[in-house]
Amino acid sequence: MTDTAQPTWIDPTDCHYPEAPAREAATNPHLSHQVTWNETRAFKPRLYPVGRLRYYYKWPGHGGALWWRTRYWPTRRRVLQIRGEYNPKTKRREKTIVDKRPIWWTLAFIAMILAPAVVPSAGWNTVMSAAAVFGIYSAINLCWMLIIGTASIYSLASYAVVGAAAYGTTYLAIQLGLPWWMLPLIGALIGLAFGLIIGLPAMRLDGFYYALLTLGVVELCRVYVVQSREFGSATGGLYGAPSYLPASLGQMPRLLFSYYAALALMVFALVVYRFIDGKRLGRVLRMAPEKREAFAQACGVDFVRARIMVFLISSTALGFIGGFYACHFGGASPNLFSFDTVLLSLAMLVIGGIGRSEGAVAGTAIVVFIDRVLIDLGPLRYMLIGAIMLGVVLFLREGLFGIKRQFRTWRDKKKSERRATRAEKGGEMLPEEATETEDKDQIYFRRFDKMQRDFLKRLVTDAVIEEHRSRPLGQHSEALERLLIYFRRQGQVDKYAIMVLEEFRAYRIVALSGHRGTAPRVVEDRNYATSDEAYHALFLRRVQDLLES
Amino acid sequence: MNWSFVLSNAITLACIYGTLAIGISLTWSSLGLVNMAFGFIFALSGYGAWLASLNISAQPAVVMAAGILTGALGGLIVCLLAFIPIHDKPNFPLRALIATLAISLIGNQALLWYFGPRAKSLPKLFGNWNADIFGVIVTSDKLGASVSAIVLLTLILLWMRSSRRGLEIRAMMMNPHAASIVGIGVRRTGFYVMALTGSLAGLASVLLAQTYYVAPFSGITPMVKGLSIALVGGLGSVPGAVIGAVIIGLNEALTSTLLGGQYVLITQFLLIILVLLVRPRGIAGLLDKAREA
Repeated sequence: MTDTAQPTWIDPTDCHYPEAPAREAATNPHLSHQVTWNETRAFKPRLYPVGRLRYYYKWPGHGGALWWRTRYWPTRRRVLQIRGEYNPKTKRREKTIVDKRPIWWTLAFIAMILAPAVVPSAGWNTVMSAAAVFGIYSAINLCWMLIIGTASIYSLASYAVVGAAAYGTTYLAIQLGLPWWMLPLIGALIGLAFGLIIGLPAMRLDGFYYALLTLGVVELCRVYVVQSREFGSATGGLYGAPSYLPASLGQMPRLLFSYYAALALMVFALVVYRFIDGKRLGRVLRMAPEKREAFAQACGVDFVRARIMVFLISSTALGFIGGFYACHFGGASPNLFSFDTVLLSLAMLVIGGIGRSEGAVAGTAIVVFIDRVLIDLGPLRYMLIGAIMLGVVLFLREGLFGIKRQFRTWRDKKKSERRATRAEKGGEMLPEEATETEDKDQIYFRRFDKMQRDFLKRLVTDAVIEEHRSRPLGQHSEALERLLIYFRRQGQVDKYAIMVLEEFRAYRIVALSGHRGTAPRVVEDRNYATSDEAYHALFLRRVQDLLES
Repeated sequence: MNWSFVLSNAITLACIYGTLAIGISLTWSSLGLVNMAFGFIFALSGYGAWLASLNISAQPAVVMAAGILTGALGGLIVCLLAFIPIHDKPNFPLRALIATLAISLIGNQALLWYFGPRAKSLPKLFGNWNADIFGVIVTSDKLGASVSAIVLLTLILLWMRSSRRGLEIRAMMMNPHAASIVGIGVRRTGFYVMALTGSLAGLASVLLAQTYYVAPFSGITPMVKGLSIALVGGLGSVPGAVIGAVIIGLNEALTSTLLGGQYVLITQFLLIILVLLVRPRGIAGLLDKAREA
């Protein structure tokens, strides 16, 4: 049998009579079953790498070495959190560094300490004063992050606390002639008092009401300071606080000294952050995130108290920083209370990601760099900051440091979408059905049967039907023969049959019940005059059932 | 101290700030968005009105219409940037707050960059005459500002009460989820609301520019005032905003007569804190969880 336009049929019984030429006849064109087989069995889905990439470097290590752990005072924490496991393939012990943040922090600290050496000398003054501002601002932002992130009190008045402490300490220093080291301590007291005043409403107000209220408080402070004569309304700020810098230093060492002092302040803020966020108060508050306060309260967690405690401690630290601010800049300016300062510092928090210390520091670095180093851009640099802020808010859920988690969530979503499209559907069993089927042959039979029906559907042509109509019995073309074989070997249940009502007169199509003692049912109310007509009508019924399946 | 002068001043300011407060309040209650770009919309519409008065005509109607239309346009910009992309994303209220702050930062700097820091003044819309009402001398700009603010606000509130769109907005205020279930488009309503509140900001801007000037950062203080009035009145309540505006206006008048002008903000915030401590959701605010989403 060939696939030419007009294939021929050769009588297979002619091999018994080799002396006579083989009988040949024209027959219907036929589609090879191999085509459907190949198409069905072809590997259609796109190939994706199986399993997961190993994102972590696996360190070799013996199990015994895992128990050698350095713990640092005053916590019981290890320097690095290391997970040990056996690799099931290589049967070797492996170690994974679960939390690499300490490494990054160490590298960042080394970079910050060595930074003055690599700053180009052309813009040394600008960059170093900006770096000192970065240290102070990141300290403020870390404390603010405690309030917004850990305590989830949406206070916008953190810079107001700093400003109040800076103004208060400068005023006291001018009036009483205090030494410089008194200023941060007094500032801490002022910050505590200020925090008590603005923390009081936080117990009753929630979320945005408090944010808007604190925004008002900032505006109030600004207007008061701008109008008040004691606080330097004429000079645009109150100046004259003692500086912590030794008087004998030249300009370059002064900048260097103030940079390292600001860095030390940042380390102080980091320690405060770590001791609040990583210890009891932070744990308690992580138990009571937004919208789950009621549950936490029902569990006996006094989250309001914890929030107020965090707020007060942060305010005290902010006051301390305010005192340092007064020493550093020699006073305070109403700029601390301006709406733009609130905006820019909120940009710092948001860009880095709310609720993480590294986010506060990195966001501060980015914004301070744009704001203080790229001065040549003019107002354009605020637009740049605003654009970054807008982009981060619109596209990222948790700022720059949340990108990793967001990307993984997205990737897992895409993966499962692809997995869903890869499943083939048809006459096969559904996965649940397959697991519950006792006879596993059924699964493969159904799959094969579906493929066979797909193939046979393609064999049904007008020529084949015409062939059957003209000669229901006898020698057939391959296509028709395959169809008839498939129809004949179906099960007895609901199989069509021909009932003879009266020989050579009346035939009728029935469907067998498949059960002994149950009579076949009549399929249609029609009698056929000859057996060939009945055969063909039955064939058409079966073909229709096949095409509809 | 001239009591009647102070009182008329306070009433004028209360009308203008009340307009802003109603805008802020509507945005919050129907969209769940604290629009911190309101100050930007305010300044933008002031500049729009100024440009119209220079290039088209200094007719009062033209200037006012230009201000209101620019305000609506500003509202639409904010809606497109801060509401449409993230309104169904997690952590929407905080992100929207920060997005509007970013828009405000960019927009104000763009205004500063394009128009320069010098303040512009709008033409006098209401002429230059005085009226004598029960022995109180009221200048034309104050009377005009109060009357036009009250008239336009009344029109808008009537529209909110009687029209199909107003019904949609009020449904969103009651329960945004249920509103979206019964077929009210959240994004479409967002556009209506933001255009409406933007035009309110534009109106307030044009009216306030009669007394003050148009400057890139002129919107911040009115926005803070409007916010505090909306807070006192209760976010989401129009009658509350009116009551809040009257209370704040009275406080302003009384403080500046009895104590002096520099204590106005202090007494105002003490008053706000007191009111909020007694009623955490404002005078007329709903005491249950008003908006979850």
